[in-house]
Amino acid sequence: MADDTLTARAPFTDLAFSSTPYGGVVVADRDGLALAAVLVRKGCLAALTARVRERFGIELPRGPRRIAAGTVAFAGLGPATWLASSEERGNAFALTLKEAVGDTASVADQSSGYAMLRLTGAKLRETLAKVLPIDLHPRAFAPGDVASTTASHIGATLWRLEDSAEGLPVFEIAVFRSLAGSFWDTLTHSAAEFGFVTRETIS
Amino acid sequence: MNASGPQESAQPNRLAGAGLIDRIRPLSFQFDGKRYTGFDGDTLASALLAAGVRLVGRSFKYHRPRGILTAGSEEPNALVELRSGSRREANTRATVVELFEGLEARSQNRWPSLALDVGAVNSLFAPIFVAGFYYKTFMWPAVLWEKLYEPVIRRAAGLGRASTEADPDTYEKAYAFCDVLIIGAGPAGLAAALSTARSGARVILCDEDFLLGGRLNGERYEIDGVSGPAWTRQVEAELRASPETRILRRTTVFGVYDGGMSGTHTFAALQRVSDHLAIPPAHQPRQRLWRIIAQRTVLAAGALERPIVFGGNDRPGVMMASAVRTYVNRFGVIPGRHAALFTTSDDGWKTAFDLAAAGVRLAAIIDARSVVAPVLTEEAKRLDTRVFCGAQVVDAHGSRALERITVREDAGRLSQLQIDTLAVSGGWNPNVALCTHLGGRPRWSDAIAAFVPGDVPRGMAVVGAAAGSFSLKDALREGAAAGAAAAEATGFKSVKHREPRVTDELTAVVPLWCVSESKTKAFVDFQHDVTREDVALAAREGFSSVELLKRYTTLGMATDQGKTSSLNGHAIMAALTERAIPELGTTTSRPPYTPVALAAFAGVHRGKHFKPTRLTSGHAWAEGRGATFMESGEWLRAQWFAAPGETDWLTIITREVRAVRSGVGVCDVSTLGKIDIQGEDAAAFLDRVYINLFSTLPIGKVRYGLMLREDGLVLDDGTSARLAPQQYLMSTTTANAAKVMRHLEHARQVLWPELDVQIVSVTEQWAQYAIAGPNARRLLERLLGDAIDVSNAAFPYLACAEFSWRGVTARLFRISFSGELAYELAVPARYGDAAIRAIMSAGEDFGITPYGIEALGAMRIEKGHVTGNELNGTTTAADLGLGRMMSKKKDFIGRVLARRAGLADANRAALVGIKPTDKSARLYAGAHFLTLGAEVSLQNDQGYVTSVAFSPMLGHWIGLGLLVRGQERLGERIRAHSPIRGGDVDVEVVASVFFDPEGARLQS
Repeated sequence: MADDTLTARAPFTDLAFSSTPYGGVVVADRDGLALAAVLVRKGCLAALTARVRERFGIELPRGPRRIAAGTVAFAGLGPATWLASSEERGNAFALTLKEAVGDTASVADQSSGYAMLRLTGAKLRETLAKVLPIDLHPRAFAPGDVASTTASHIGATLWRLEDSAEGLPVFEIAVFRSLAGSFWDTLTHSAAEFGFVTRETIS
Repeated sequence: MNASGPQESAQPNRLAGAGLIDRIRPLSFQFDGKRYTGFDGDTLASALLAAGVRLVGRSFKYHRPRGILTAGSEEPNALVELRSGSRREANTRATVVELFEGLEARSQNRWPSLALDVGAVNSLFAPIFVAGFYYKTFMWPAVLWEKLYEPVIRRAAGLGRASTEADPDTYEKAYAFCDVLIIGAGPAGLAAALSTARSGARVILCDEDFLLGGRLNGERYEIDGVSGPAWTRQVEAELRASPETRILRRTTVFGVYDGGMSGTHTFAALQRVSDHLAIPPAHQPRQRLWRIIAQRTVLAAGALERPIVFGGNDRPGVMMASAVRTYVNRFGVIPGRHAALFTTSDDGWKTAFDLAAAGVRLAAIIDARSVVAPVLTEEAKRLDTRVFCGAQVVDAHGSRALERITVREDAGRLSQLQIDTLAVSGGWNPNVALCTHLGGRPRWSDAIAAFVPGDVPRGMAVVGAAAGSFSLKDALREGAAAGAAAAEATGFKSVKHREPRVTDELTAVVPLWCVSESKTKAFVDFQHDVTREDVALAAREGFSSVELLKRYTTLGMATDQGKTSSLNGHAIMAALTERAIPELGTTTSRPPYTPVALAAFAGVHRGKHFKPTRLTSGHAWAEGRGATFMESGEWLRAQWFAAPGETDWLTIITREVRAVRSGVGVCDVSTLGKIDIQGEDAAAFLDRVYINLFSTLPIGKVRYGLMLREDGLVLDDGTSARLAPQQYLMSTTTANAAKVMRHLEHARQVLWPELDVQIVSVTEQWAQYAIAGPNARRLLERLLGDAIDVSNAAFPYLACAEFSWRGVTARLFRISFSGELAYELAVPARYGDAAIRAIMSAGEDFGITPYGIEALGAMRIEKGHVTGNELNGTTTAADLGLGRMMSKKKDFIGRVLARRAGLADANRAALVGIKPTDKSARLYAGAHFLTLGAEVSLQNDQGYVTSVAFSPMLGHWIGLGLLVRGQERLGERIRAHSPIRGGDVDVEVVASVFFDPEGARLQS
């Protein structure tokens, strides 16, 4: 038996869709982003905060905020829970993280657990208004804000990034991997009237 | 030719030049198969009136000819079937249907035709169709109810027909958030919108009409020296330029829902995105259901003019006075050539003056009040119009349309007037519906003889006509003030602006609820054919409270919800029972304000989109293998994998089971719940949630565990593996994954916050495959190579390990649901597709067979393993034969209550196996156990069958069941009786493990 490596399959594979008239909404699959759940151990918040600061140069956010430095980011999902991410591909991130936080937090690899899209476009907020029951107005949801909510009966976690160079809003939305197809249906249906296109990356 | 006179054309009642219609865009449409022409900007009602069509429908009960009463969404008469085929829609109000090219509409509730309707004979039988006739006339004999009375009544009394085909259009839902929601874009709403928009607050302005302006479009007002519509366009332009203002036209706010002390409420609104188009363009929904969350609300929903109850008041040609003005001023349509006015209010007189301005001189103005403001009578005199003060219209006559009226003059003299149109004004009812959806009660105002908002929802301000302030000046002032206050309340600075200049107007009214001398049928509720006599009958029979009146007579229960009728009915009842109207009260109005299609509530959640679907990472592979899928909660799981030529499910499952038990098979078990549990107290935590011990579990080992609910009944079962001293991986059943996660979170956060435990669901992170059968180890040796030693010595039954395989972190567990030598291999889900293909490839030489959950189910029944059918929320650990697992060395959730008398009763039903005495007999799940010879009765019930399967290994059906004192009854013959499925089988009670009871295979 040849010892060939396993080929990853992206959650949004085979889910093509595009609609005219123009790209009111543009999305890119964030497959491959390394993710891990970080849950602070009892009484270790200060220690964890110090370690994350020291190792990643990130001030661990309190509350639903996301703070990034370099290729790594921490997003607050709950009172003692963060979703850490790293642009560095491969599944070593969870191990790196585990080593970095030591016994101040429990770490679980979630790189395969979520399907994540980056979205932008002039009609993105109008589209997301059909998907998410939360207020994404620029005054209500600033860059770096995080929310865990439902997207048309699908659990979703999202955050806002800095606006694009063209001044358009940019969001990332993660859903459980198994729900990628259903989420895609909801999203494309909602965006169709504004025009929907996919791209390899959105910077 | 008089420029404002009627045109001689296909639109005989269309005025030249006037109105807010686009005369260079004619639109052709059909009504009852006949072709007509209208203009862009028309409603179906205005276009029909322009074409001279007066008869548009038949009434609900008596099949009376009916015309167009109003110009708004309160219309009770002009209900039509719109469109055809799969888009056919019943009961659409012609008064709000926007005309489009090619529109098709049909009248309803008539046969064979609108003009000649045999159902009208119902009128002759009117005495039996009085209020409460359902309860009286058709009581006996009861046998005829379903067969005769109901079908006949249903056919005779009815509305339109909905299409029976699938709706080809789409519907969607959306959320909106704002600082201030303004409901209604008439003068009050527009003024409110201006002051909020100028403050920078986020504003949503909704109006049900396709034009903003409300009454400004139907009247001849001037504001700041320009016409009402011109002023509206100016305001609209400013609002459109305001970046934080959203205008939703064609949008009805139909309900007020939850909210709190802060004043923030959730509103439901229906936006008719494409109803004004023949077919929605690609990707555009027909309708959109909005949930609007607003911090403050300005309700400027206007008022509804009320009819007067007099004989023949339903004749086509009798119309609301304000509607007549709307048709004249907004649509350039005069409803008739010979018109009169019947009013009790100053406001009604405007209709006379507007008609005169349009070139139509009224036959008479009949005002029920003896004293009328001189300025009105002088104007009438100047226009050379006869005025009867203190007079009443006693009866309106005509067959298919109004032909004449009988007027009783002040002195009592009766006179006849030949007219085709009678404008009626009984005063105005503020539209208070949305004030009352959260339980607020309206308050009676003697000044305007109507209910006005009483206790309104916190954070809502009611302005203009909705608050009972009927003058334009008041509407503009109140709107601007409420808008500014709402902006301030949400943290914005309002900007003072000049009050617009408008003319004063008269708004006095003296109510006239009904004309007592009428000789003919006088209608209170047009849509439900409730007459003054019906209300009187209800009073005589003691149904005199408003709620009983409503139910007894059906007053206000039609699709219009009594918008034009309820108050009149209540006022008549008050007079008959000598009570004041506020003493009588009013019925409660509930959402929706106007009818909403069910499709809008469903939104995109139709068909396979009814709920989300979860797919495992091996789904594409299984599809490629020709799997048949079935739903398991939200998941789709492979039910079986048919081989070419196989059509019978039992054949397929039998093949799959035999292949596993004789060789090797693979099954996707990724859907089982997986919970990562870490922390210093992880072991102690598991000891408390499982009935058995986990702190003693060595690292690298797996143990079966059972957990109870606090009440002592079984919650779920599964295995937990100890991956590290402070890390366990728990597995749950697919069905209970979320429930167990909730249970653990509750335990961790609420019950034992002192424990250091972190839990996180990793179900989605891992793809997991069960590889089972005598050749499982050989397959894994080939698949995993040097990555891990899977020999029995190195990796015995219940071992587990995490290791690196082909560049990914993999996990292996030696556990078995099938009873075979079996392993479960887990890889990160991104590699789930690659892993199953690698497993298949490694197993090729062993004849590996993929199997689905039916084969898995058959094998687990052969092994007597319990699953959801047995863990059904009514069973204890002891019932399932697992009582001895309950540790006596520790406390755990459910321990105390599991010892309750009822749960510890020896007479409880316990898990047993059953097999049919006649080996060819089929068993059915759900069958009830009876002792042989016992009568089929509830008293003799001995338990029931929980799971059945055809056992490929034994060659006959087998089952599991819960039987009273089952464990003592092995060997007994009993009966499994299934009246629903028709099975009645003699069975033998046996041990619940049918196959390999010693478990030799899984240890091998």
